[in-house]
Amino acid sequence: MKCKRCGELAAVKLPSHHAGFCPTCFEGFFKKQVETAVRRHGMIGRDEKVLVAVSGGKDSLALMRVLTDLGHVVEGLHVHLGIPDSSDPVAERTRAFCAANGLTLHVLHTAEHGLAVPDVKDAVRRPVCAVCGKIKRHYFNRFAYENGFAALATGHNLDDETARLFANVLRWDPAYLGTQGPTLPGEGKFVRKIKPLYRLTEFETAAYCFLKGIDHWKAACPYSGGASFTGHKKLIADLEDRSPGQKTAFYEAFLAQGRPHFAGASRGEGQDTLYACAQCGFPSSGEVCGVCRVREQVAAHKARREAV
Amino acid sequence: MITVTIDGKKPPITYPKIKTVLQLLNNLHLRVNDALIIRDGELLTPDRHLWPGDQVTVRMVVSRG
Ligand code: SF4
Ligand SMILES: [Zn+2]
Ligand SMILES: [Zn+2]
Repeated sequence: MKCKRCGELAAVKLPSHHAGFCPTCFEGFFKKQVETAVRRHGMIGRDEKVLVAVSGGKDSLALMRVLTDLGHVVEGLHVHLGIPDSSDPVAERTRAFCAANGLTLHVLHTAEHGLAVPDVKDAVRRPVCAVCGKIKRHYFNRFAYENGFAALATGHNLDDETARLFANVLRWDPAYLGTQGPTLPGEGKFVRKIKPLYRLTEFETAAYCFLKGIDHWKAACPYSGGASFTGHKKLIADLEDRSPGQKTAFYEAFLAQGRPHFAGASRGEGQDTLYACAQCGFPSSGEVCGVCRVREQVAAHKARREAV
Repeated sequence: MITVTIDGKKPPITYPKIKTVLQLLNNLHLRVNDALIIRDGELLTPDRHLWPGDQVTVRMVVSRG
């Protein structure tokens, strides 16, 4: 198979785009997709600083690399969760990648904020991932806000986004459907959230990482119950396999035709008004935000354990 | 004989009869964009030929959470 652009031997076949690309032209294609996403959805303004949420996985590292290559001012934040045998090597690998690529990386330890994830796991009854996700989102946003970043970028790709959309459609969840999209505008102490990779698939991001020599962390978190939406992703992949282009069409048509109908939908009784958390000052639907409540639970649990 | 390593799993699988990347994908029940197929540091499209003695790496692209 030949490259659609230059006629050299192709390295990547993309049925969804009816195309094959050589390594050089594939990188051009990849950057172009990100550029289009950023432009069409007003993700990054002139001279705006962007914080990238860096997990250490392929999507976030690819995102750091490509935004930098496109000339944006980007810094990364890695949230160290304090999980034994997992958090240290992930942080180390992420640091090494950023150092080798001349990228600025900040590392925030949740343990220093009373929220080491193993302690959280012991202290709360809910599934740890729901709480861990909340903690990460809180600190990514807070760090961005407190350090003058205009936007927080995450590595969500087209597969993540279509699977989530499919899940939201199955439940016809108006509040989620009203706000799902590549850009969520900032408001008060919430910075703008952007997903510059939303036009690229998991395969495309993996190929990009391979071709750019991006050595990402591959082991799953020991607490992971498996990736989210695996079943939905499989269904959508089957659909895509039978009619290439369906995935993009489903998502883009939602943005154009579906989402406007759900704009401003209520999150439910008492959930729409946000207050400043009495402890941290960040937006919360109650007097104390979810993260500060978990911190209290962790402290109380520890105190109880030390008492016996 | 073609030697195939999937996501670093040992031991590798050997295939005596496979001739193309597409045949390999089909054999593993994988769609075109489910995995990267790598030989000698190079990505291969499904139409590429595989030759006896080739060492192929299959890297699944789905993130594991
Ligand atoms: S798998 Fe769960 S506990 Fe582990 S990092 Fe992800 S959300 Fe946190
Ligand atoms: Zn080319
Ligand atoms: Zn708070």
